[in-house]
Amino acid sequence: MTRTSHLIAVLSACIIAAPIASASELTVTVEGIAKQQGSIMLGLFDEATYNGDGAVNGANLTVEGTSVSVTFEGLEPGEYAVRLYHDVNDDGEMNSNPFGMPTEPYAFSNNAQGRFGPAKWEDAKFSVEADGTAHTITMN
Amino acid sequence: MDLSRRHFLEAGFGVGVAGSLGACASPGAMLGAPGMPDWHLGYKNAPPAGFDPSPMTLAFGAVPADLKGSFYRNGPAQMQYGDQYASHWFDGDGLIHRIAIEDGQAVHQARFAETKKRREEQAAGKFLSPGFGTLGDESYSVEDPDDVNAANTSVLVVNGELLALWEAGSAFAMDAETLETRGAKTWRDDLKGMPFLAHPKVEPDGRVWNLAVGGDRVGIYRIAKTGELEDFGMVNIGRAAYIHDWTMTDRHLIILVQPWVNENLRPPVVAGFEWQPQHGLQMLIVDKDDFTNQRWAQAPARMFFHTGSAWEESDGTIKFDVVLYREPVLGVGGGAAEIRGDWTEPGANENGILTQIVIPTQGDAKLIETGINGEFPQVDPRYRGQRRRLTALCTAPSRLRPGQTALTVHDWESGQSDTFNFGESRMVEEFLFVPKSGGSTEAESWLIGTVLNLNSKVSEVCVFDAARVSDGPVCIWQAAYSWPLGFHGTWA
Repeated sequence: MTRTSHLIAVLSACIIAAPIASASELTVTVEGIAKQQGSIMLGLFDEATYNGDGAVNGANLTVEGTSVSVTFEGLEPGEYAVRLYHDVNDDGEMNSNPFGMPTEPYAFSNNAQGRFGPAKWEDAKFSVEADGTAHTITMN
Repeated sequence: MDLSRRHFLEAGFGVGVAGSLGACASPGAMLGAPGMPDWHLGYKNAPPAGFDPSPMTLAFGAVPADLKGSFYRNGPAQMQYGDQYASHWFDGDGLIHRIAIEDGQAVHQARFAETKKRREEQAAGKFLSPGFGTLGDESYSVEDPDDVNAANTSVLVVNGELLALWEAGSAFAMDAETLETRGAKTWRDDLKGMPFLAHPKVEPDGRVWNLAVGGDRVGIYRIAKTGELEDFGMVNIGRAAYIHDWTMTDRHLIILVQPWVNENLRPPVVAGFEWQPQHGLQMLIVDKDDFTNQRWAQAPARMFFHTGSAWEESDGTIKFDVVLYREPVLGVGGGAAEIRGDWTEPGANENGILTQIVIPTQGDAKLIETGINGEFPQVDPRYRGQRRRLTALCTAPSRLRPGQTALTVHDWESGQSDTFNFGESRMVEEFLFVPKSGGSTEAESWLIGTVLNLNSKVSEVCVFDAARVSDGPVCIWQAAYSWPLGFHGTWA
């Protein structure tokens, strides 16, 4: 269960860090949301923060349709990854069953999937270019 | 048993259906596949699309007029992709069978449970998922237990809904008539993905109890006969024992904590088990009305897969039957070799002995061994949790091949057993009690089960009278083909 708890911890982490001086921007679109209620809790990470509790940026996005979108500004160009979960019941937590497995939908950038734990940085990372980047994640 | 029934079984009458009458001489003479022993037929793949509904042929006897219903079974049926064998029998994809019986006719059909494992392995044409005995491919994503769910162990029908059961993940809902897969069953939103053991227990009034096993923590489901979850609670069993089955009385759940422990449930799971006989076989007895009201009982170290059923005497003494082994089996070699056509006769310590465990209200439990070597114990569903007399099980292990050759009904009151031995030409699977219409005692039941006929190389469904098993089958239906050996079934 250790790995599962870790998965929840990192998915739940949407702490907004201090802005980083730069001019690039990233638009993340989340598609295929099954239930039109609650919020998408989204965290943006770099390699240094990916396996920790802190994120370089984050957003809580109210779900009204099957997709949501957010733009992060002032990002330093480079490699980033997104973890998110759908807080269906809007209780501010990623709910889990008694054995610690998530009971609310979650996803990673590149639609990466884990193997006995969260998706690896290598699978979830993508580049934010100097002239801006759009990235789409599909819930399944 | 009368001569005609024995003659039928030995001569292979009816094999004309399969067109191989001349080839039924001696066991082992027929090869299921080049270089393979005859019994390997039971470990061959089923067709990818399963089996469309097909009438079986009444090959022997007369069908009981009151026998009407659906006989469902489940078992692993994808053991090979090309020259790649599955690493363990327990990891083959579940093929769910329905034998619909009405007006003396039996119609067989079967479909694989469409799990993620099934879909992705079929698309790739190779084994990918980790499992009980399988390391799995690094490319295969595993985000929750149902990503490795083989749905291959048993079946349950609750309020008309058919469920294909595994033991470490969700039940998979299937259409009870077409066997089309509907998807993983969530009993309550907060229990999504919780395991649902392959041995639920159904009270005579239809209420279902089952366990969710995860290391040393065990969840308890109480499900109304209407299919709604009535209650769910958690108990701690102290160590991560292997739990395939359990038992219950009308008032208590009995969770057998065998000293076969796996603290690191990583694939291949079987590699992580450790035999720790110093703990003995411990039993946690849980009050059905208050899961916090518990007591422990202690027995000598034994390994087990399957129980019969328990009851309580008026003084609170608990009695139940179980097939016990002196040391672990199947997880330590067996279950992997057979699918490659390899088999060696088990040693004495690997025999499963039908045993009654008596748990007094105080002091250690006692084991009363019958000396009957068998597996797949079954009881009359009208008496589950109640005092009863009879247990049916597969007995007489073959000396030539895996599995059993006989069906036995043991009477716990008289101490007598009634056995019919099919001989080496048949591999005998689990038999279920089906109450006769108008009857009330356990003996007033039909016993229905499957056997693999190695002479004619077809699967058969046999019916016995529970009161006269040694008389032989009252009827036998034959399929025009064989399907792989399976595990457990249910009657609905």
